[in-house]
Amino acid sequence: MTADEREKTWTSASGIPLQPFYRAADVPAEHRADADGAPGEGAFLRGAYPTGYRTKPWRIFQLSGFGKPEDENERIKMLLAHGETGFIMEHDRNTADHMYDADHPEVVARARDVGLTGAVMQSVNDIAICLDGIPLEATYGHAGGGVVQHAPFALAGYWTVARRRGLDLSRLPGTGQSDFNLTYLGCPPKQQIPTGPGLRFNIDIVEFCAEHLPRWVPVSIAAYNAADSGINAYQELGALFANAIEYLDEVQRRGKMEVAQAARGVGGVSFRLSMDLFEEACKMRAARKMWSTLLRERYGINDPKVANLRIHCVTAGSRMTYQQPLNNIVRGTLMGLAGILGGIQSLGVSGYDEALSIPSEHAHQMSVRIQQILQNETNLTAVADPLGGSHYAESLTAELIERGRAFQEQILEQGGYLACLDSGWLQARAAENQVAEFEAQDKGEQIVVGVNAFAEDISPHEIDGFMGVDDAYDIAIERVKGVRANRDGARASAAMQALAAGCRGDDNVMPLMMEAMDAEVTLGEVGDVFRDAFGDWQSPIAM
Amino acid sequence: MPVPSRQSNTARIVIAKTALDGHWRGPQLVAHALGEAGYEVELIGMRQADEIIATASERQADLIGLHIGGHVAVAEQVIEAIRAALPEVPIFVGGVVPPWAKKRLEAMGVEVYPPGSQMRDIINAAARLTGFDPVG
Repeated sequence: MTADEREKTWTSASGIPLQPFYRAADVPAEHRADADGAPGEGAFLRGAYPTGYRTKPWRIFQLSGFGKPEDENERIKMLLAHGETGFIMEHDRNTADHMYDADHPEVVARARDVGLTGAVMQSVNDIAICLDGIPLEATYGHAGGGVVQHAPFALAGYWTVARRRGLDLSRLPGTGQSDFNLTYLGCPPKQQIPTGPGLRFNIDIVEFCAEHLPRWVPVSIAAYNAADSGINAYQELGALFANAIEYLDEVQRRGKMEVAQAARGVGGVSFRLSMDLFEEACKMRAARKMWSTLLRERYGINDPKVANLRIHCVTAGSRMTYQQPLNNIVRGTLMGLAGILGGIQSLGVSGYDEALSIPSEHAHQMSVRIQQILQNETNLTAVADPLGGSHYAESLTAELIERGRAFQEQILEQGGYLACLDSGWLQARAAENQVAEFEAQDKGEQIVVGVNAFAEDISPHEIDGFMGVDDAYDIAIERVKGVRANRDGARASAAMQALAAGCRGDDNVMPLMMEAMDAEVTLGEVGDVFRDAFGDWQSPIAM
Repeated sequence: MPVPSRQSNTARIVIAKTALDGHWRGPQLVAHALGEAGYEVELIGMRQADEIIATASERQADLIGLHIGGHVAVAEQVIEAIRAALPEVPIFVGGVVPPWAKKRLEAMGVEVYPPGSQMRDIINAAARLTGFDPVG
């Protein structure tokens, strides 16, 4: 060993000091019983289900969409034909995130952006086109609505399409998102309702699903969007559970449903997977134990059907490099592997062209194939929690739990998760990590292959990225004008007025949203109602 | 907002996002690094061309940075508008810019820094484009 190697400090990506090797004594005594337990029981450290992936492998679940609703429909069908086992709708960011129709001045000024990041869906009719020919009763769907204010529109739109097909909503499988980390941390829209009304909407959705859509995951806390903004692994755990506490405390305060029932719905969460293989795998193990502990200690919930956290993961888009993009196929495989070793329930692998564009058809196919190779050629699905009992994995899991809880407590001490978004405290934690990481890369302390090291490329394989389509805006304008002209105007006006009154009162907005969607009220019209009722969030960051 | 008095020993850079896409990691990092390097940097978020031009004129910007996040056609329109209004102010661009789009933007005379660009290259570009090198 050279002097340099002795002096170098080895840490995990989140900064946890690492020993050269681990012994049994390095695992904290209080963690050992869980480490020797079985999957599907106790603290669920070792997995959500007793048989692991033998009964059911993880769901292949890719984000997809662009252009017109027809384009997105075609891509979703292509992915399902290639073996995707659920689908995620992506709504055009320009319109959906901000809740603007295509003829809003902010969108008109950027007309040629429209459709680049998802299909433009301005009314239930557009959502119907996007879902055409997809058997909703038999397919696990993500309705979109990652941004909190957009979720009531995206969800009510999806459910209205199902209802118009004569489907029984109580049997409809799928998930929402309504994600505070995306909305107020990772990707704040130009106009967005404040966090308080956002929380109210999310609990409205939780309560509505409990009554009408018991198989639907109403909201999903997506820590991905905190992590890809800079929040590290244990902060991701702490922030996610502080977010869950905000939801469950609000359910308790409103007193309209059992916290346990809400927890079952909220306990489908998502994390980011990044490149520190063992830290990321152990993060999933830590999350399950933290969830069951939180439910027991804070809410007195011991029901194993509630306490088994189900986890969706997406591999880190920010780890996909622009340079030598085919290297990203390896990165996607390794990040996915980390999640599988951690026992997750569903997975999206970023496209290898992630740093260039939204995924091309080939990049999408590759993301599905990576997962199929992992499911069918590696024997990874045979044994649950293969890292369980490793001195290193158990020690790292215990350390992530301890640090994650400390971060969660820091958030609670400052008034909770929403307060930390409003004050900018969480955004500041993300920003300081971004800077530290960038400096480490700039100094060459953190190697990114093909970028700041090993940049030679003997066979440059330049890819174009996905080119998109160029008629999304024109069609969107045509359709939004058409829907306003052809619908029952009196019914649409009445639905908007009822929604406006509902927003100002305390009643659940979702029945009003269902009527508004069925009455073909548009995205921008719903956005105007929300803006009038709630005003704009004042972002603590310059974006 | 009061306009800070112009310091003679630095250059001022206005950074905006051309798209309606709130991802802020890239521009925040670049703004931080340029600030550390001694520039006065102002991040103004998601803005249309006329807003960027108004801020850049008011602040007497020496350089405009545009985060374009994959939205090339709109970036081209914004660059043309800035060029027409403020022909003397150089522009550089960052974000998810595929190789074909990078070539198109470079042909317009702007420097392009896609993902994976090294910060020292971006800081060097600021020095070259403003004619002011705080590091010396």
